[in-house]
Amino acid sequence: MKLHTILRAEFSLVYGEIFRRKSALAAMIIYPYLFAGFTLFFGYTIGSPQLFIERVGVEPTIFMITASNIVMSIITAVDDVLWRPLHDMYVGTLPYIIASPINKLELFIAIPIPRLSLLLMTGFTSIAPIYTLYYGMNGIVLALAIISLIALGALTMSTLGIVIAGLIHTIGESWRILNIVRPLIMVLLGAYYPRMFMPLSAYIVSFLIPSSHVVETIHRILLGSIDNLYLFPILAIILAFTYIPGSRRSLLYWEKKKVSEGVKTY
Amino acid sequence: MDDAIIVRDLVKRYRVKKKTGLFRSHIEVIEALRGVSFTVNYGEVVGLLGPNGAGKTTTIKILATLLLPDSGEAYVAGYNVVKEASEIRKRIGIMLTVEKGFYGKLTGRENLEYFAALYGLDGRRSRERINYLIKLLELDKLGADYKLLEEFSLGMKARLSLARALLSDAPILLLDEPTLGLDPPSARRIRELVKDLAHREGKAVLYTTHNMFEAELVCDRILLINRGTIVVEGTPHELKMRIPKLRVVTVSIRGEGGSIHQILDTLGTKYEVKTEENGIYSVRIHAEKPEDIFNDVMKKLIANSFEIISARIEEPTLEDVFIYFSEGSL
Repeated sequence: MKLHTILRAEFSLVYGEIFRRKSALAAMIIYPYLFAGFTLFFGYTIGSPQLFIERVGVEPTIFMITASNIVMSIITAVDDVLWRPLHDMYVGTLPYIIASPINKLELFIAIPIPRLSLLLMTGFTSIAPIYTLYYGMNGIVLALAIISLIALGALTMSTLGIVIAGLIHTIGESWRILNIVRPLIMVLLGAYYPRMFMPLSAYIVSFLIPSSHVVETIHRILLGSIDNLYLFPILAIILAFTYIPGSRRSLLYWEKKKVSEGVKTY
Repeated sequence: MDDAIIVRDLVKRYRVKKKTGLFRSHIEVIEALRGVSFTVNYGEVVGLLGPNGAGKTTTIKILATLLLPDSGEAYVAGYNVVKEASEIRKRIGIMLTVEKGFYGKLTGRENLEYFAALYGLDGRRSRERINYLIKLLELDKLGADYKLLEEFSLGMKARLSLARALLSDAPILLLDEPTLGLDPPSARRIRELVKDLAHREGKAVLYTTHNMFEAELVCDRILLINRGTIVVEGTPHELKMRIPKLRVVTVSIRGEGGSIHQILDTLGTKYEVKTEENGIYSVRIHAEKPEDIFNDVMKKLIANSFEIISARIEEPTLEDVFIYFSEGSL
């Protein structure tokens, strides 16, 4: 089975769903601003931009709009694989997916890519204008580099996302568990809460998340600290590949559990 | 003929957690299948006929590798359903619930394209197959190319569901109540097509239904399943012939009813008399060989001044067969 065949199918499915639901499309464009606006508002009420720059080293607007985009894109990679089995169960397509000869790992790797590609486009409506405002024309180049890194961060997250999704659905198929896992990942990514401020235990867990290294790369670029910068994305890619056997096994456990219980056919 | 499906002593028990109090619960065991055995050959439609909860869907789910049996063996296309599920999945087309199982925001064609990709069909091959199936099931006339699935009627969904089952041109089809809730034209179209697929293309079809009329129309062989057990199997004709004294002489007569019972008691067989309006009686006489008593009954009725309005010999229906074998009597 060819990955591009599955990808094309996923693109048609996700694009069909999003472009025919105008509210979903509008939300996707507005969310980075909403996220950034909310955090900036919250930040300004308890501190000052100056204090933020002193502590973090980056202009808060730039930091927050970047963080919002990072979180939206990377969490999407996890979210899509976490929610998809539940969604397919609700709409009744799960038995057809399980009973098809498709390689489930390839399918799950393909699942987040279409929505991710759309989210990356929102980088041009959120990151790029803000960067241009602050950095002039150089901001466009910087925005392109950051958007590319966000894409890498999201892609490297998919294998760990599959491991988590498979295990969660094996343990108990519940959106409640998903709602606990998502914010944890959001925090440990280090997008809003840079790793340099994390306690050691959180830092260690964060280190195991491939995307967190890409996030650190982005932060370092924004801070202008570019020594050995290439090491972090490489580490992220290596970690992502390390999770492949785990993700395959995790999906196998999930499928076995579903089949032993009996896939609901309604 | 090769066996496409072999099922031997299949047993499946569901463990259902029942709440008995705020913190208390107990596990209730429901025996869905109690040693089911049968075979399905290529080129035939085999009907799994039974009431709700008889074990039809459980059987289909096990064969479709969507459920594990507790014991027994099942082989589809020569592969074991437990150990070789991935091989089976390449060789089956399934049709489960008609109402659900598609993506609502995609058109009929887009849905088929998605599921074709799951079966590894790509590009031209996928397009050609989908075009063929859309025409075959007359989905083009119903707007499957531009209508979103959420706008589909149940009949359209059923046709689309069958099209999906046929996408990979699998040699074995597992169809679970494919005409449930459909309008007569859609149900007829699906029945005709299923028969064609088996008889012309040599596919093996396992077809579950609780509709006796439909089973008789579609199936070459019928397995009557009740409470997880196959109670009887055979062609529709064989099944009817296996019921003793189930052929019926039905006579509609007009006259003085007092002597009817005296006449019929002399036959020494089971009968029923129903009174209708204007002194008309409907009489049903059960007999193994109704031809033998037909003339005798007519003569006696006429001799007793009864006017014969109509008289015919009725074959038992599949419903009679089902009731006889599942409940032991009519």
